[in-house]
Amino acid sequence: MSNTYLTYAAKRLSQALVVILLAYVFTFVVVSILPGDPITSVLRNPQNGFTEEEIAEIIAAQGLDKPVLVQLWNALSAFLTGDLGMSMRSNRPVSSLIAEVLPSTLILASAGLAVALVLAMAVAYGSRFIPRRYGQGLLRGFPSLFLSVPNFVIGLVLIHVFGFQLGLFRVINPDSFWATLFAAIALGIPVSAQIAEVLIANLDKEAEQEYATVASSRGIGQARLFAKHLLKPASLPVVTVIALTIGELLGGSLITETVFGRTGVGSLVQRSVSTQDLPVLQAVVSLGAVVFVLVNLIADLLYPLLDPRVKLLGRPKRRPTAADDPSLDTKAVTS
Amino acid sequence: MTERTTLLSLSRRRLLITTSAAAAAALLAPEGFTPARAADSPREGGDITFLIDSLGDTWIPNNSAISSFQGHIWGHVTDKLFYVDAEGKVSPWLAERWEQNDAATEFTLHIKSGVTFSDGSPLDAAAVVANLDIWYSGRKNEGINPIGLFPKTYDHAQAVNATTVRVFFKKPTLGFIPTLGYHGSILISPKSIAQPASEQADLSKTSGSGPYVVDSWKEGDFVKLVKRKDYNWGPAAVGHTGPAFLDSITYKLVSEPSLRVASVQSGQADVAYNASPQELKSLKEEGFTIATPRYLGFVNGWAINTKLAPFDDLKVRQALQAGINRQEIIDTVYTSDWQLAKSFIQSNVPGATDHSALLAYDPGKAEKLLDEAGWLKGADGIRAKDGKPLTIALHSNPYLATSKSIDELIAQQLGKIGWKVDIRAYDVVTFGEKVKYGGPAVPAYEVTRSFIDAGTVAGILTNANNGENWFALDDRDAKLNDLRDRIAGAASIDVRKPVLDELQEYVLEQGYFIPRTQIVQRIYVQSPSLKGEVYNGVAYASYYTAFVSD
Repeated sequence: MSNTYLTYAAKRLSQALVVILLAYVFTFVVVSILPGDPITSVLRNPQNGFTEEEIAEIIAAQGLDKPVLVQLWNALSAFLTGDLGMSMRSNRPVSSLIAEVLPSTLILASAGLAVALVLAMAVAYGSRFIPRRYGQGLLRGFPSLFLSVPNFVIGLVLIHVFGFQLGLFRVINPDSFWATLFAAIALGIPVSAQIAEVLIANLDKEAEQEYATVASSRGIGQARLFAKHLLKPASLPVVTVIALTIGELLGGSLITETVFGRTGVGSLVQRSVSTQDLPVLQAVVSLGAVVFVLVNLIADLLYPLLDPRVKLLGRPKRRPTAADDPSLDTKAVTS
Repeated sequence: MTERTTLLSLSRRRLLITTSAAAAAALLAPEGFTPARAADSPREGGDITFLIDSLGDTWIPNNSAISSFQGHIWGHVTDKLFYVDAEGKVSPWLAERWEQNDAATEFTLHIKSGVTFSDGSPLDAAAVVANLDIWYSGRKNEGINPIGLFPKTYDHAQAVNATTVRVFFKKPTLGFIPTLGYHGSILISPKSIAQPASEQADLSKTSGSGPYVVDSWKEGDFVKLVKRKDYNWGPAAVGHTGPAFLDSITYKLVSEPSLRVASVQSGQADVAYNASPQELKSLKEEGFTIATPRYLGFVNGWAINTKLAPFDDLKVRQALQAGINRQEIIDTVYTSDWQLAKSFIQSNVPGATDHSALLAYDPGKAEKLLDEAGWLKGADGIRAKDGKPLTIALHSNPYLATSKSIDELIAQQLGKIGWKVDIRAYDVVTFGEKVKYGGPAVPAYEVTRSFIDAGTVAGILTNANNGENWFALDDRDAKLNDLRDRIAGAASIDVRKPVLDELQEYVLEQGYFIPRTQIVQRIYVQSPSLKGEVYNGVAYASYYTAFVSD
């Protein structure tokens, strides 16, 4: 590995750390300027019947009467030492709350991504090789269709048909294989749309390249042409798209988890937002930032290794020509 | 862990011996559409799943027991000193009897002997004192709150011997005994109480003396309870004292209401909590058991801010009282399971009296009162006085799903007599921040609150003794002050009853409180094969006495 590459990697890594810290501070500020404060909203629930004096006493005991900056400083310094604090809502350590829900979300998100990839590949393949009269054009419309149907509608339909009518899974046992599969389908369908779009566009472009024309003129089979010649060059920008869809996977999992009754990061966020549980929200947002930054970091670090034409640190190894796909290096250049 | 395995294997053996394959089929097969045949005597065994829309915020007993969600679990895991049934009748439970002095400032509780917590420690006088102390004071610096409705007049308690506790109050506290049956007053093992807040927040580390123990749980996901075999101290009032019949109860969180109901319809679960009122009729026709128990407390209605014009005018308040068609609310938004308000407290509260006449719908009377008060109808149909239109801003209660629909209906009703209604809907956090009793822009604060003892009302009417001053009257109404003091100071129920009746009439007649309907806050949709559950004074379902019929 060259020195240039290592410098590039180190620079990208430090940028990533700054992004994570900024995300933490940003969440704190946003939640702090929202009207109302979490503790009093719970205490003021008329069912509790606390007097204002009692509420004030409880708030003081939690340190919530201190200036926002002091609270931020305390939270930030704890965060830097790896202490995620205590949940205001449940009075349990934030780290154990997250540890409880993370595996379920990771499974759902990776299954969702797998579903999205398979689906995107199938749609892309079909839209290129299925004869026009068997619905090639129709397949090309699928990505827009997938994007426009809300995730929760797909989820509810799947649950009613496969869960209640066919009895393939039980809502009360959402971590079973079938329940996870259908949740992953609900999550994967919208995500597959973007991947399919990019894949279709690049397949079209690659198919016009000389090497592809030559290959097909030699009488090579369609499936072979797709798998051996077209897929790899067409997939390169897909890496970027996948990195970008991580956000969508995380966001989509929030809705999917609610609909399917799964307990994951999404449902934790939902509960924490509704009760303004600041320490949990911060930890989760920071976690989201970590995942997002990490995935993009991996994509950025992989790119120069996959494609030597990608510029490092703004110093191109080779001046890009008009033939170069601009989408190839957008990530490396802009970040 | 070993203990659990034995429990499970025992129950499995017993299931095989005592129940037929048909019973197992009833549990597994997704039927439930056929009404159960006879066989209504309790049967051992069975596992049920209860679908709930939330499991609340925390499991620290003091902080959580008050919320409507955790109360379901605490009701099975813990016991109380007294039992309060759906009619508000107080009967002995772990306290077998009590004595009180004439001034209602000293109480002596006699505790049942032989009761143990699930961690093995005895439920004796010392344990009761430890509970009373933490209910009253909490440990605020650790984030353990006092129990909101525990008498603030509490002084101290002492264990006289292993089964006798004496409790002392600074002032007469008639409500003390009923409060001990309230859903907040759950008895927790002293070992659990001694734990720091973070340990108390872990449900599996908290021990009660109830008929069920926590088998496993996951935050925001589920809580599984299994029965305690040596349980033998159930409340006599429910007609059963031994171990529960059902082997396990699983509370599973499903936040989508239609999924909860559909799961019960398809036989995947046994109880769905909080269905929408509109669905109930068809579910009933399908053969499902629908329960809409009322709880003890205030009816759903408004506390009026008498400082805010034009509600400082008696005639305007009375016009509001007469201008609302309460029957139409029940017919349109609810079903016949809901009842008309007869007072500003629910009619099952001991001491509640019927004042329906004051709550009759009379738009003619309302218009006449408004005319007299100088609010005259303009060409646009809206009344005005000195160029200002007659308006009222309603803040829909975010704790009650149907609140906004009722506000919309009332807006139409009041519109007919020339009243302009603005509806403002906030989320829970914003509501808590902006909408307060007597708030500067809040003419009508929507109330939904439960209590056990009607004496509670004395503390909320005015600002005396840290009162909540619901009507922003401060101490301006001499008659109300007098009624309040006589209720608060009453040393016996007999003395208090007529005063309470007078108070209800006065508050309604003055238009201080505008009732809407009696409140049903908990709705249960249940599989017809599950029978024998009991609802207590705060409308929680207890499955301690429940069983699955063949």
